[in-house]
Amino acid sequence: MQPLLHLNNVSKRYGAVRVLDGIDITVADNEFLTILGPSGSGKTTILRIIGGFEGIDGGSLMFEGRDLSAVPINRRPFNTVFQDYALFHHMTVAENVGYGLKVRGRPKAEIAARVAEVLDTVGLGTLGGRYPAQMSGGQRQRVALARAIICEPRLILLDEPLSALDVELRAQMQRFLKSLQRRLGIAFVFITHDQEEAIALSDRIIVVNRGRIEQEGAPEELYRRPRTPFTASFLGDNNLIPGTLAAIDGRLCTVDTAAGRLDATVDGPAPAPGSAVLVAVRPEHVRLDADPAAPHGMSAEVADVRFLGANVMIELFNPALPGAVIKVRRLADGSVAGLRPGASVRLGWAADDAALLQVAP
Amino acid sequence: MNTSLRRDRQDLLRAGLGHALNLGLPLLFVVIPILSFVVVSFWTLQDGQILLIPTLANYRAFFTEGSYLPVYLQTVGLSLQVTLVNVALSTAIALFIFRRTPRMRFLILMSFMLPLFMSYIIKVYSIRSILGQRGLLNEAMLGLGLIDQPIEALLFSRTAIFIALAVLYLPYAILPIYLALDRIPANYLAASADLGATPMQTLRAVVLPLGRPGIAAGAVFTFILTFGDFVTPQMVGGTQGFTFGRIVFSQFGLALNWPLGSALAVILLATTLLAVALAGLSLRREHVR
Ligand SMILES: Nc1ncnc2c1ncn2[C@@H]1O[C@H](COP(=O)(O)OP(=O)(O)O)[C@@H](O)[C@H]1O
Ligand SMILES: [Mg+2]
Repeated sequence: MQPLLHLNNVSKRYGAVRVLDGIDITVADNEFLTILGPSGSGKTTILRIIGGFEGIDGGSLMFEGRDLSAVPINRRPFNTVFQDYALFHHMTVAENVGYGLKVRGRPKAEIAARVAEVLDTVGLGTLGGRYPAQMSGGQRQRVALARAIICEPRLILLDEPLSALDVELRAQMQRFLKSLQRRLGIAFVFITHDQEEAIALSDRIIVVNRGRIEQEGAPEELYRRPRTPFTASFLGDNNLIPGTLAAIDGRLCTVDTAAGRLDATVDGPAPAPGSAVLVAVRPEHVRLDADPAAPHGMSAEVADVRFLGANVMIELFNPALPGAVIKVRRLADGSVAGLRPGASVRLGWAADDAALLQVAP
Repeated sequence: MNTSLRRDRQDLLRAGLGHALNLGLPLLFVVIPILSFVVVSFWTLQDGQILLIPTLANYRAFFTEGSYLPVYLQTVGLSLQVTLVNVALSTAIALFIFRRTPRMRFLILMSFMLPLFMSYIIKVYSIRSILGQRGLLNEAMLGLGLIDQPIEALLFSRTAIFIALAVLYLPYAILPIYLALDRIPANYLAASADLGATPMQTLRAVVLPLGRPGIAAGAVFTFILTFGDFVTPQMVGGTQGFTFGRIVFSQFGLALNWPLGSALAVILLATTLLAVALAGLSLRREHVR
């Protein structure tokens, strides 16, 4: 099926600085796609290229198979929710929301009706007469959304729209955004540097780092099966243990590390035995009471036990892995009650819970 | 308890002092000098002597005697014309600067502001040398064969006054208009285009409305400065340059009629205040962020 939008091998530079380096992105109809990456990784630049605010230095940008490079901003069938909302402060909320229809020359009565309808959709039914300055951050956010959806674009671009909101409002807006996207059936391209937000909202996540795509996939897939060290450590907590690949049998890998032989599984093409790799295993997947007689696994000593409410975070170390802190997360129940710093334990995990990562040569 | 009371009293004292300064400084430097000539405007001049007899004769003279009222109206007309032309020109120039890259903006703006750093006399004489009989404009037109003889009327005419005033006060309109445009967030322009507006629609719906405070300020500056100017009309207008400012000035000089001069000055001030009030009224709907 043809994607709605296709960025093909797109590159962008500012002066001598290469900001995007061969980016490939497809957006499907009705999809909630999140571009996730740290600050400065090029997320906003990607959005500005799609919106038409920046040109590209290489590659192509296609919308339903049509090349967009010559299409000016005001003719692109997308609308943007800006990071700072960019609401016109000299216009009322209703004038802001109706702006897109007004510049298209729609009759006044139609605009008024549509504005009322869209304001209802975003839960601001009665506030059309106010000015943006008279509204709270969360309300402005909704105005910006209403303004972006009124022209029924095929795609909405959202640049970290929730970053200015406090924690509680943010969770509320996340639920609202998700339900709005489902109701409207418009594709959302959403930018964030917050991995939890990305996981909670998205159908699909694209992880970017230094202007390149690290990995993409469904949230659960990215979380369970990271393929690069960056993805493994940027999405949630991970223990990364360095070693060399000893043997490989289908997906199942055995890795030699300074602390012993460890199990992991690999997705896609596997590296050759003997190459440097990392074993990535989540704190919640590490067992503390592994069978000492099991062929693989490592021993460790408890350094600290931190009570976090529902969970405890246990920090351990192995003298063969200097400087590395191994983190284990457990429910704060009776099974960890007797654990004290200094205790010796045996760590293990199911091979399916540990991902083998290639280290860039 | 005691200390907090003392602190309260100190705070009160400091606040009181602050208010006293806020009110006192404008009072000292603005209101008192103005009041003094308002008072003089109600005094009587008899046989060259100022008598402390209150009268409305000076104001009556403005409406009935000589050419005071016609000259006043002509000057208002001239100032409005200059204001109109300058605001249009300045808005265009400010928009032009606004569309450049940030570095170019500064350079272009500074070059337009350069005349502000020059002496008034130099500017007026350079305008004279351009408009004069053997001036740049005449020589150029002669050289191009557009005219056979230098046009005398270029200098010492109403047109000359008009051009000189317009050129002289252009920077005072460009600056506030540009500063207002400069405060428009770049994202507003992006958002407007994003929502489907053409550049022309963005100009009408976003740029000009947000530039309005600057345009109003530029208009007021131009009007006040042109209306009160009594040197330029004389220097480039000759006998044609009999503007209201010159009449006021001559009452304090040659005619030595301070009460009448003061009354005319009060009328000049009232006109100025009216211009400010009208500009303020046109901005009432302006909403702060
Ligand atoms: N107009 C610009 N000129 C020069 N460098 C820029 C410009 N815009 C962005 N950059 C640089 O490009 C990189 C990516 O920026 P951006 O796309 O804003 O990242 P993000 O949104 O992920 O934080 C950053 O290093 C930033 O400094
Ligand atoms: Mg950004």
